[in-house]
Amino acid sequence: MIPISYFIVLSFILFFLGIVAFFVKKDLLTQFMAVEIMLNAANLAFIAFAKSANALDGQVIVFFVITVAGAEAAIGLAIILLIFRHRKTIKTEDINLMKG
Amino acid sequence: MIEIFIVFLIFGLLGIVLIFMNKFLGPSRTNPSKEKQFECGSPFLQKGINPIPIKFYLVAFLFLLFDIEVVFFFPWALIFKEMGLTAFIVMFAYIFILAIGFIYAWKKGAFKWEN
Amino acid sequence: MNTFSSLTPLLIIVAGALLVLILEVFLKKEKKDYLAYISIVFLLGSVYAGLRFWNQNPSYFNGKLLLDNFALFFIFILAIATILVTLISIKYIFLQNTNHGEYYALLLLALSGMMIMVSSTDFLIIFLGLEVLSVSSYALAGLKREDPLSSEAAAKYFLLGCFASAFIIFGLALLYGVTQSTDITVFVQSFADPNLSLLAVAGIGLIIIGLGFKIAVIPFHMWTPDVYQGSPTPVTAFFSVGPKVVGFAVLIRIFQPYWRAAVNTEAVFAALWIIAVLTMVIGNLIALRQTNVKRILAYSSIAHAGYLLVAILSRDNAGLLFYLMVYLFMNVGAFSAVIALSKKNKEYLELDDYAGIGFKYPWIGATFSIFLISLAGFPPTGGFLAKFYVFSTAVREGLITLVVIAVLASLVSVYYYLRIIIYMYMKEPSRDITIHTENPALFFVLFLCLYGVLQLGIFPGNVLVFIKQAVASIL
Repeated sequence: MIPISYFIVLSFILFFLGIVAFFVKKDLLTQFMAVEIMLNAANLAFIAFAKSANALDGQVIVFFVITVAGAEAAIGLAIILLIFRHRKTIKTEDINLMKG
Repeated sequence: MIEIFIVFLIFGLLGIVLIFMNKFLGPSRTNPSKEKQFECGSPFLQKGINPIPIKFYLVAFLFLLFDIEVVFFFPWALIFKEMGLTAFIVMFAYIFILAIGFIYAWKKGAFKWEN
Repeated sequence: MNTFSSLTPLLIIVAGALLVLILEVFLKKEKKDYLAYISIVFLLGSVYAGLRFWNQNPSYFNGKLLLDNFALFFIFILAIATILVTLISIKYIFLQNTNHGEYYALLLLALSGMMIMVSSTDFLIIFLGLEVLSVSSYALAGLKREDPLSSEAAAKYFLLGCFASAFIIFGLALLYGVTQSTDITVFVQSFADPNLSLLAVAGIGLIIIGLGFKIAVIPFHMWTPDVYQGSPTPVTAFFSVGPKVVGFAVLIRIFQPYWRAAVNTEAVFAALWIIAVLTMVIGNLIALRQTNVKRILAYSSIAHAGYLLVAILSRDNAGLLFYLMVYLFMNVGAFSAVIALSKKNKEYLELDDYAGIGFKYPWIGATFSIFLISLAGFPPTGGFLAKFYVFSTAVREGLITLVVIAVLASLVSVYYYLRIIIYMYMKEPSRDITIHTENPALFFVLFLCLYGVLQLGIFPGNVLVFIKQAVASIL
């Protein structure tokens, strides 16, 4: 039996890796992947807590989070495609029409 | 035991510091020659990835959406016997909303492969 | 009272959205206006269905969705905002080549998400409502498909919005681990525990950061000006009101029981105090050097979030609700005036464009001036009374330093609001401006907002009675 704290520490590591990747990476698609890692860190935490407390609701919450991530992925990829059609690039440093 | 933790801590911190040092100290703008594919110095024979028709993206989005929705069938199937008619009505309403999305996508021409 | 009929206001909105979506593909291009009228009918129906539940506190799903007076009040505000935004969009999306019928469906879906958010105390439900709102908002921001600014706004809003959502859901996961529940009241009880778990502190911190992104307080505001500038203008009006109003509704739901628990509140209080000061001061200072009217209004809405946080800190729920109501009318009104100054495929957004407008189009100039005066907080408008209520309660609660900073910050804000008025009335017109004037729906909205701002500023009595009942229901 693996203690629950291992899972929680792993989910914290994933979450912070997601944050770091979000700020370090410089293209929209990779940044979006970083956010997905953060969401999955939350999923892992939910499942671990639900398992340790022998409750089902935490696992059902994960279904909701998966759906949310799917909806965000669909709309996000569409937006990134739109950006690519306008400028032929998805680098964040080139997306700079507005400043100030 | 504690020495291992200290080693991991130091090198972990060093890694983070190096990542951010790159970001802050190095020039961050790319240039065309940096973006070019590298092929041992000789001029490259073909582009790395050929452009894929936009249709595939549309199909991928729709697949993603309608695929994710199935996730809710699992908990529903688990409690179907206990809830009986209520569960049936709830799932019917759910599929009805999905069907409206499907009709919308169909009428917008998302499934037309030609043109 | 646990009854299925308490779902009717929400179901009407969702049904309206689906109907508009289906009709969109069957209607001809020149008949897309009908979709706006259909969605207004559904919005009015939802408001009527909600009014019947005033003072009845119905609920459904074992109390997970409850329509207390507090929720109903916010549903009214949000429905009114959506009606106004729908009306100002009719001509705009036709003129600016954005004439997709999905526009109205997305507005209704965003409204349904906001209605879910305000009518629950379960944070999972609030999160799902927030996502319904956010996903529709990302699409709305990018709806001007030919305009690169609009797609840029959508991309920025999408990335930062997702980032904030991840914070909220991770914070929720931690709180779930500590309390085995997702209900706000249970969270608050766990805070009254003297040996507080570190996980719970991290959880509530992450949730507040995530909400801070959504209501655009400094230092979580970087996306706001760009998104407000790039989005289609009626959508900007919607963003400046909708997400902010629901964000504060959720904050009240959290902090109303939390302040009363009166244990372990010092750190959170200090953090919110600093955020409020930063938001008011920096928001107003950056607004001073903007030249794009939409960006000025964006920074002004950031600054207003700071004044609203003062009300959260001084536990003044009634003042906060009144402020939000006034804010709705004056902000939608100001953006409608900006929309009025547009023609086919062209919007006038730079300050130089506004030179001499006050004499060329006296009605638009006069109403815009009144909205700006109200935003700056001068009597006899609603903006003055709202600020007066919030600040005087804060003084009574002993937050003197905070109120002094707030008053100084709003004095700074007078400069950039008056600058627009000075451009309109005291500058020689440098450019030739022609606008499309046949827009009855827009002028109706301008009139309604003007009425709202003046009514709330001069005779706020009836509304205050409503607000008292709304606040009493969550005590």
